[in-house]
Amino acid sequence: METTVHLKAMTSFDESRLFAYNRVVKDQSLQTSLRSALIERQMPDGGWSYWQASAQGDLEPTCLALLALRWDRSPARTRGLQFLLDTQNPNGSWPAFSGDDQEGSGLTALAVIALINSGEMALQTERGLKWLLNSKGKESHWLWKWKFRTSDTHVRFDPDKFGWPWMPGTCSWVIPTAFSIIALKQAFVCCKTDEISLRIRRGKEMLLDRACPGGGWNAGNGVVYGVPMASHLDATATALLALHGEEVDDVINSGLDWLERSVVTCSAPWSLAWSLLALDAYDRPVGSLADRLSDLSDPGLIRDSATLAAVILALDCVAQGNVFKVFA
Amino acid sequence: MLAGSVGLAAGAATSLPFLVPRYDQVRCPSRSHVAILRAEEYSERLERDLLSGLRLFSLDLRGRSVLLKPNLVDFLPGVDINTHPLLVVAAAQCFLKLGAASVSVAEGPGHQRDTELVLSESGFRTLLDAQRIPFVDLNRDELVKTKLRADYTGLGHIWLPRTVLNTDFVVSMPKVKTHHWSGVTLSMKNLFGVVPGAKYGWPKNILHWRGIEPSIVDICATVPIHFVIADAIVAMEGNGPLAGSSRALGKVILTDDPVAADATCARLMGFAPERIAHIHETAKFLGNAAPELIDQLADPVTLPEMPFRTVPEFEYLRVR
Repeated sequence: METTVHLKAMTSFDESRLFAYNRVVKDQSLQTSLRSALIERQMPDGGWSYWQASAQGDLEPTCLALLALRWDRSPARTRGLQFLLDTQNPNGSWPAFSGDDQEGSGLTALAVIALINSGEMALQTERGLKWLLNSKGKESHWLWKWKFRTSDTHVRFDPDKFGWPWMPGTCSWVIPTAFSIIALKQAFVCCKTDEISLRIRRGKEMLLDRACPGGGWNAGNGVVYGVPMASHLDATATALLALHGEEVDDVINSGLDWLERSVVTCSAPWSLAWSLLALDAYDRPVGSLADRLSDLSDPGLIRDSATLAAVILALDCVAQGNVFKVFA
Repeated sequence: MLAGSVGLAAGAATSLPFLVPRYDQVRCPSRSHVAILRAEEYSERLERDLLSGLRLFSLDLRGRSVLLKPNLVDFLPGVDINTHPLLVVAAAQCFLKLGAASVSVAEGPGHQRDTELVLSESGFRTLLDAQRIPFVDLNRDELVKTKLRADYTGLGHIWLPRTVLNTDFVVSMPKVKTHHWSGVTLSMKNLFGVVPGAKYGWPKNILHWRGIEPSIVDICATVPIHFVIADAIVAMEGNGPLAGSSRALGKVILTDDPVAADATCARLMGFAPERIAHIHETAKFLGNAAPELIDQLADPVTLPEMPFRTVPEFEYLRVR
């Protein structure tokens, strides 16, 4: 594991990064305890819930856990993949949790990403991708475009630039759009059809359109009633991950700068983990972030399994590869 | 400041007329009780005053679980957008003193996915941990499919957090604010926070498409609010719920009826509650908005010299 770290670090030598990453990666006891805690939280049906007290497998922690364990050969990973297969909806989407209605969750793309990175389940992945290509924000319909242009204008956005919604029949938002772009880019590294290229392009345009004037992203409204809205760390990080590999413009640069500046005071593992993943993808220095995240990574204190998995992914991103890093 | 995220599509159905009654039964109490307490600042003294206020009500909480649902939206330095943590912690201590078996605090922020970050930055985490009061993130709780007890949205059912459904005594603790999509956000709008993000997203955009006011009515018809403690010590006017201005009102409003709570808060803001669609509709079947049906147990309702400012679309709410 350490060899991998050195190789990665030497490709673009930066002493501060190397030192910090080595400190994190060498702390095997931390990595082991985080992974063990994650595996211990797996439910009998193979899924993970956000909270241990819950009896419901949730999509997001399950997908993040599978990504965090993607190199493991443990039965936990196999059972987790089986959970994903078992819970896929007939229409190709995934439910937000086991037992959910079957219309499809906005985090279906995360399930596709988990399957792609498991290197298995081609048929299920394809069905998920087909659903993603058919899913779009409601503002993409001509009637709603017209409404948002003429009467419902308090939120500044261009309805021609649409992405993916949290639920069918609602507008596009940053998180589902960002994960959907990542899923499509990872699934179709080359040979994109016109339809796929168009959806990625529209999604990218939507993200750029919904950025906050001060840099970064929130759930998806940059300006409301003429007032610039504040950004959020995790939304900014996820949007930046989706935009990686695109031509870097002012919006992306401003988002990166905002993220780098704002994460300095963050002490919440979820936001720290996503920030680290995004800044790492753009080769920004993350040594001190990794240190801070390791200091906060007590599995006994991180009760949310989605956060625990995100922390593992972030701390592992150099040694194991940044699973969300994509190219155009 | 991201609460504006309700914006996309919010206007899609917010003004759906409540032409036909769509509730299962009339559940208005014969009389409702409200206590308007004076409180000029957020301080340790709140607990004592709050306990005195709560004792005006005949609450039997012995052996019961209590869930406090504050309005915890995000953290914006210098902007009063959340129910103040000192008031929430004071309420928790009071309910324990009144015999509650357990008290927890729960919320599912509508836009910010990192609830732990909001807790930490807003000061809630430190205070809750110091008092050993548990917090439940309702966005990520186990969910139960629940039939709606009103049908203004056409949703039929909604998934709700098990923690809320299993609690004996739900206390809505709103921050008294204007709201650019619904006019006001008070004890009933505060229940949007029990709708889980894990299912409905961040924001819970389906509620905006189905109409904010119809959604408020459906949720409040389904999730019982047993008591209200509204934070109007420092309220918000103008472009609320995030980008408005602070307005010191110096009051905490206690009541055993959410409709009476919202009607009273609206009057304290200088608004006509009957002009607020969700208050008007819930007053038909859920609670009392009419002053003659509300017993004031402490200070009387006094209209402000100047009504709260609103965005232009809601200026009609103001009593001139």
